[in-house]
Amino acid sequence: MERSEIIQKINAIFIETLDNDDIIITEKSNANDVEEWDSLTHIQLVVAIEKAFKIRFTSKEIQSWANVGEMISNMQEKGI
Amino acid sequence: MIFVEGNTYEEKFTVSEHTHANFVALFRDNNPLHCNETFAISKGFKGKVMHGNILNGFLSYFIGECLPTKNVIIHSQEIQFKNPVYLNDELLFTAVIIGIYESVNAVEFKYDFKTASKIVAKGKIQIGILL
Repeated sequence: MERSEIIQKINAIFIETLDNDDIIITEKSNANDVEEWDSLTHIQLVVAIEKAFKIRFTSKEIQSWANVGEMISNMQEKGI
Repeated sequence: MIFVEGNTYEEKFTVSEHTHANFVALFRDNNPLHCNETFAISKGFKGKVMHGNILNGFLSYFIGECLPTKNVIIHSQEIQFKNPVYLNDELLFTAVIIGIYESVNAVEFKYDFKTASKIVAKGKIQIGILL
């Protein structure tokens, strides 16, 4: 899957999970850029992404991401 | 992880007079559908319809007391009410683990409450495992 396609799908997940239609996620986005992205919604986001893409992350992988782009790279390593 | 996808849990609950009366006393929902037999029957029910949110109390008990660890917290839950529950109905609660997300220490259950003849409520709960 192209990175642009992944981010489009991720953006829809953020909008749904964070209940904010105005969210626009970029590869550089991180929790500091999105008001509703806190520790609890982070869990919901990860669960929603794991479900949507039928993948599983490890806690180590999650802790290594500095932004959405790094998560996408991680997803591509898993064959997405 | 002490949870395994597919693991199933069962509990039995009864909506007793004691439970109903205490729910009303605590939350002050005296709506006649729940508290007035004549009114409820006039609306086509067999008797007083128990508050659906009493079932959420049973869910709380299940998560807090019946799992193999007390280190749990509810992240989210949803419930759909399918059929009325009446006073002294005996309910069989069944929960199945449908997802384990070790990356964020979360577990998702699908559950339902059944009387002898039908499902009265069903839904999903996601919990977190506290480290």
